[in-house]
Amino acid sequence: MLEEQMKILIEALYLVFGNENPWGPWVRGVVGLCAMGGIMVSAMFAVWLERKYASDIQSRIGPNRVGGKYGLLQLIADAIKLFTKEDIKPDKVDGPVWAAAPVLMFGSALLMIIAIPFGAFIFNGTTYPLAVTQFDISILYLEAVSAIGIIGIFMAGWGSNNKFSVIAAFRNIARMIGYEVALGLTIVSVVIVTGSLNIVDIVEAQGSVVWFAFVMPLGFVIFGGSLIADMGRVPFDQNEAEEELIAGWGTEYSGMRFGLAYFAEYIHMVLGSCIAVLIFLGGWNMPGFLIDLHIPLIGLLPVGIFLAKWVLVMMFVVLIRWALPRIRIDQVTSIGWKILFPLAMVNLVWAAMLGLVWSW
Amino acid sequence: MVLKNFEEMIKNTFRPSVTRLCPEVPTEVSDRYRGMHKLDRDKCIGCGICAGTCPTRAIRIVRYGRWFPMIDFGHCMFCGLCVDQCPNEALTMTKEYTEAISPDRYALIYGPAQLMGEED
Amino acid sequence: MVNKHDVKKRMRQLAAEYIHEPQQEAYKLDDTEMMLHIGPQNPIQPGPFLIDLKISGETVRDSKLYMGYGHKGIEKILESMTYIQGLPVTDRICYLSSLSNNEAYVSSVERLLDIEPPERSQYIRVIMQELSRIQSHLLGTGEYATDLGFVTMFLFMIREREYVLGLIEDITGARITHCFPRFGGVRQDLPDGWREKAIDVLSMIHEKCEMYKELFSSDRTYKMRTVGIGTLTKEDVMKAGLTGPSLRATGIDYDVRKVYPTLVYPDIDFKVQTAENGDIFDRVMVRVNEIQESCWIIEQALDQIKPGPLFPDELPYGRRTPSMRVPPGDAYVPIEDPRGEMAMYIVSDGTDKPYRVKIRGPAFALMQGLPPMLENVYIADVPAIAASMDSCNSEVDR
Repeated sequence: MLEEQMKILIEALYLVFGNENPWGPWVRGVVGLCAMGGIMVSAMFAVWLERKYASDIQSRIGPNRVGGKYGLLQLIADAIKLFTKEDIKPDKVDGPVWAAAPVLMFGSALLMIIAIPFGAFIFNGTTYPLAVTQFDISILYLEAVSAIGIIGIFMAGWGSNNKFSVIAAFRNIARMIGYEVALGLTIVSVVIVTGSLNIVDIVEAQGSVVWFAFVMPLGFVIFGGSLIADMGRVPFDQNEAEEELIAGWGTEYSGMRFGLAYFAEYIHMVLGSCIAVLIFLGGWNMPGFLIDLHIPLIGLLPVGIFLAKWVLVMMFVVLIRWALPRIRIDQVTSIGWKILFPLAMVNLVWAAMLGLVWSW
Repeated sequence: MVLKNFEEMIKNTFRPSVTRLCPEVPTEVSDRYRGMHKLDRDKCIGCGICAGTCPTRAIRIVRYGRWFPMIDFGHCMFCGLCVDQCPNEALTMTKEYTEAISPDRYALIYGPAQLMGEED
Repeated sequence: MVNKHDVKKRMRQLAAEYIHEPQQEAYKLDDTEMMLHIGPQNPIQPGPFLIDLKISGETVRDSKLYMGYGHKGIEKILESMTYIQGLPVTDRICYLSSLSNNEAYVSSVERLLDIEPPERSQYIRVIMQELSRIQSHLLGTGEYATDLGFVTMFLFMIREREYVLGLIEDITGARITHCFPRFGGVRQDLPDGWREKAIDVLSMIHEKCEMYKELFSSDRTYKMRTVGIGTLTKEDVMKAGLTGPSLRATGIDYDVRKVYPTLVYPDIDFKVQTAENGDIFDRVMVRVNEIQESCWIIEQALDQIKPGPLFPDELPYGRRTPSMRVPPGDAYVPIEDPRGEMAMYIVSDGTDKPYRVKIRGPAFALMQGLPPMLENVYIADVPAIAASMDSCNSEVDR
């Protein structure tokens, strides 16, 4: 009975969302908007998590007024504050470049949403990953799109007509050139082992035990470091170092222009953590030490597992921010090129050997 | 190499927080805290030593029956020299400090009646 | 007679040397260079000062320092106040080390009056000096940690500082501007039960300092930013006239408490903390070691203190008179401020107000030592170096 009802439901879903329906693209567009809304909520959660966890590390109380005792709606108060601030446009900025920069950063973060599967819905042996679209080169697309945000930061730095912003912009480019290479090489090594660029295949290739974080530990460490550099967080946040450069590239932005860029950074953090969970930590597969409990993996349980792993990765990212000092820009590039790049090549060789074993 | 940092920070998350939720939980100040002044009517003889020693000249002696001091808390810097020099120990400092904040400058001038606590 | 036009030409020349314009040598820029003004509202330290950096890429080629934005005229104010009224003013020269400023003023006036405080007062003053040193070093090192991006360290140190401020508040009644020593003694005695509380707090601080030293020594990212950077040699230090932890980090063991001892420092056994290299890492380590040494000094003082009077029996002035006439003369008594050697040269002409008070503050030399250190460093090192000197702008400008 239940199976028949589910079959009818799935046929109905295909009718609504599929391509035979002339309204299909519109319906999918609405779903995409809902996904975007979900991402905004998760970015709000990310901001709250950062502030609350930071206050726990530092023996403080943290947000405690807006939205109950734990301050859950703090970002809404911040957003209202940013909306109501005066929008100051300095006289000599390069108009279109300066105005378009936050939009570009926000856009690049949102473009990543369409390819990431946020868990899966497993029924009757078939897995329906919850992604807006699935296409064959999704991991390559994700890495390419996340690099567009860098151009946004450079536009902000250059267009501001401010010495501090220009220095921040140059530092930013130096950082990105170094770390994109290492990031790309570790992703390529994962792809070699799996044999496919589709992110869903990568998740399914890791069962419950053989996660790539355990099989390629060097790759995991390099990917983690490069991801934090990609997200622009301490210890790699030279482009917005407050003590030297006032506010770095964001010096001339106020009000919601700054709010967009700030939000875009947090969305980037959320989505970067999602990618880390999917590629290296087994995505929505059950962890190996819980197999003995014999919980069947059906329905929406994979989404719950995915979210739990995602929260743990984000807590680790926040811990790194508050536990380490910032390093200098020349040390950043020297670490990127002299340490991470050769290690990533070593990891590539290791992955090639693994790939041969895997395909047996 | 950086693991000691992480270990220390994670250990600190399990300790209780040391901040307090202002203003529901008030600050505890010590017994000798130099807050706003209090005047004892019977002991004050109106000699004027407190007015002469105040570095910011915040105290003036006015008539309220006898001669008593009037303190302007907008100028007072709570140094405590007037309390030290008073020969009869008529002027003492209490632990009260939140009343020294006011949007009106003239409301901070406390006459002898307010200092003695006889009037609001 | 002097030609009016020659005078005007000379005045214009002199003005051009002092005006902030590209006529000066340091301001002539090549094509690859840029002038960066870390302006009066600067994020490096509390208090306004301007530092102009000539940078090429990310390296600093030249720097120029402008101070005086916070000048309040304290030395002139002290000339129009009686000696006891001037005591709260000296609190506010540098609000972090206000007990040391009071001590310098009171010691000089006591030498003019030719009185000596009794032993119990001397022990209490030594205890207050060392407590003030602990809290000033904790805050200074915490501020330096924020300039590196290490905000959590700042919050840990502030947390410890609150306990020390609680101890100080139990005695004096205030958290920052204390106005505690008096001519010939101290204002109030130690309260009951303070000794046990102090021993608990001090042993906690001793443990926490061990944890800070381990954290600093084992963190590789921290050492990448501090070891070998901002090095001062012994010649630089002597030329600039530096004193305090910045001097002791280069290896010279000059401490005013050993060289010109006042109060009961000769009876207390302690070591002068030095280090080898004189870079940022060493300066911070010297400060953390000094905190531990101060804890040890306070414990010894609490053991040795005996009950007794707070003021000497015969005073040349009534204790409760607001003004007293000081015999004419001059006096200079240096003491060890948390930042270096501090003294006030007081000239008196026999009336109840001083004729001249000249304040020798340690922070001025710390700022002067900054431009020679900033040759060929990266921009990111400038806040780290400036904050590790632990200077205080309000004491520089007075």
